[in-house]
Amino acid sequence: MRTMLAVAADLIREATKRKWFLGLAIAITAVLVTLSLSLRMDVVDGALAATRLFGKLTRGPIQSVDVALRPVFMAVAAVVFYGGSVFGIIACADFAPTLLSPGRIEHLLALPVRRWQLLAGTFLGVLALSLAAALYGSGGLIVLLGVKTGLWTWRPLVAGLLSSVSFAAVYAAMLTASLYARSASVSAAIGFVVFISGIVSGFRYDLIPMFEPGVGRTLFTGYTMLFPRISALAGAAMDIAGYRPLQVHSLWSLLAGMLVFGGGVLTLGIWRFEQKDF
Amino acid sequence: MGAPLAIEAKSLHKTYGGLFGPRQRALAGLDLAVARGEAFGLIGPNGAGKTTFIKILLGIARPTTGEVKLLGGDPEAVETRRRVGYLPERLHLPHAWTPPAFLASVARLKGVAHPPRALLELLGRVGLADDAQRKIGGFSKGMRQRLGLAAALIGSPELLVLDEPTDGIDPLGRMEVRKLLMEELARGATLFLNSHLLAETERVCGRVGILSHGRVLREGRLEDLCQSSAYYRVRFAPGSDAVALEAAGFLPGREAGAWRCEADTPQKLNEALDRARRSGALLVEVAREEKDLEEVLQEAVRGASPAPPAREAAA
Repeated sequence: MRTMLAVAADLIREATKRKWFLGLAIAITAVLVTLSLSLRMDVVDGALAATRLFGKLTRGPIQSVDVALRPVFMAVAAVVFYGGSVFGIIACADFAPTLLSPGRIEHLLALPVRRWQLLAGTFLGVLALSLAAALYGSGGLIVLLGVKTGLWTWRPLVAGLLSSVSFAAVYAAMLTASLYARSASVSAAIGFVVFISGIVSGFRYDLIPMFEPGVGRTLFTGYTMLFPRISALAGAAMDIAGYRPLQVHSLWSLLAGMLVFGGGVLTLGIWRFEQKDF
Repeated sequence: MGAPLAIEAKSLHKTYGGLFGPRQRALAGLDLAVARGEAFGLIGPNGAGKTTFIKILLGIARPTTGEVKLLGGDPEAVETRRRVGYLPERLHLPHAWTPPAFLASVARLKGVAHPPRALLELLGRVGLADDAQRKIGGFSKGMRQRLGLAAALIGSPELLVLDEPTDGIDPLGRMEVRKLLMEELARGATLFLNSHLLAETERVCGRVGILSHGRVLREGRLEDLCQSSAYYRVRFAPGSDAVALEAAGFLPGREAGAWRCEADTPQKLNEALDRARRSGALLVEVAREEKDLEEVLQEAVRGASPAPPAREAAA
């Protein structure tokens, strides 16, 4: 476990030196600082009486704070989920290819480290980065709005956690793809294929009637069943953040789907890594 | 019972490719034994299989058939690799890190304590003390090589496997590296060196193996390999009669005033010398002719034939 954590820590250390991640940290911080300085919310007896952004009054009915902030939390959950995933696919695409690059992998494999620990450590490091970014963005907004309105909620944090779970499944496929073709482009392409297929898969039951019964429908059903239902989980995250009842049948089955997909693909990656000569 | 072995390879075969692509044989029945505490140099032309052998030795690649033992254990076992230091041929280093950060990372993965002072001392040993705070991305090839060597030395390993350790290092730096390797040897470490710089191998290693077409063609103590079995280098005082010396069985040498004499026994050598002395020549120097490693390599490789097709060996 210690070795795996050391590999993960090295990956995080390397990420902090990269412009992509510095840019993300600066962007999230800039949004939070700008909002904290420019957003003014007047709360009277638990109701949001007036909101001023950059000194300009935004129109809207007087509502209780929790009701008024629901759309905000839902929008943030959506941005963190989809935006975070797209950012993660691009920014993390070359971690595994770099790890596997000639001159580095030989050195690492000659150290007293088991192969699976290297791969699992890399996966863990990326997962930690994804969690840190999601929780920093969501947590920052909770603190900001909590201070301004007195409403403190854990819901956007849970939505952020769900986005990391979804990204973990996508990244497992990216990591495994790197073991078959050591290329950041291939890794990113596989990430986007899984991400988009996962979005389509979440709308599977809405889309199936669009296909005529027969081979096409069977193929579509079969294809979408291979992928985790990312858009359904995103919807669940937004529902949780927005105090809405869950639209999905079972959050646990969605999470189990992510686990089965991510775990299965990662196991394939570890198997491939164990067999491979460098 | 012989000395304990640091490296033991028996009938090692390695074939790459297959299935859809062409099969390429890298090792074709390699046998090698390196005793603990010795400095062994592996030399050979490009594509001879040197790097493949090192990779198999360290569990980075697996042999198709054959057996390899490292420090008496399995190369893939974590406990075995903890006792080994390795410098790959082209070490890829994290550009944005400083040398101490890189060494600390290697120490963590090796499970070795890494107080900052010890890491700085290590950097001092490889001549990088003044560059400790610089980013690795700005390092020259030689500096990267020195840093790689420092990483290999972490934890005072029992076996050092160094692939082109002085590549890119300037002549003075090479002397420093050589001194460092000698210190490691004196400490009791085993050195396994793969270098294209034959002079480097000659200076550091006590034993050498010549690899070509995936097989060890010659292997032994440096002085044995470099010794010419039948020729002696002879020098006479100036004024000797060249015609009489040639008649006595001497051949003109490469340098002025030097002669060569073929004699497979001491008796034949002394008979030739007696003939020369009778002609009035005065002997100044006589020594067994030694080849340099380059000549030995050339000779060995020239006489080597490629291994039979991969299919036969894999069978």
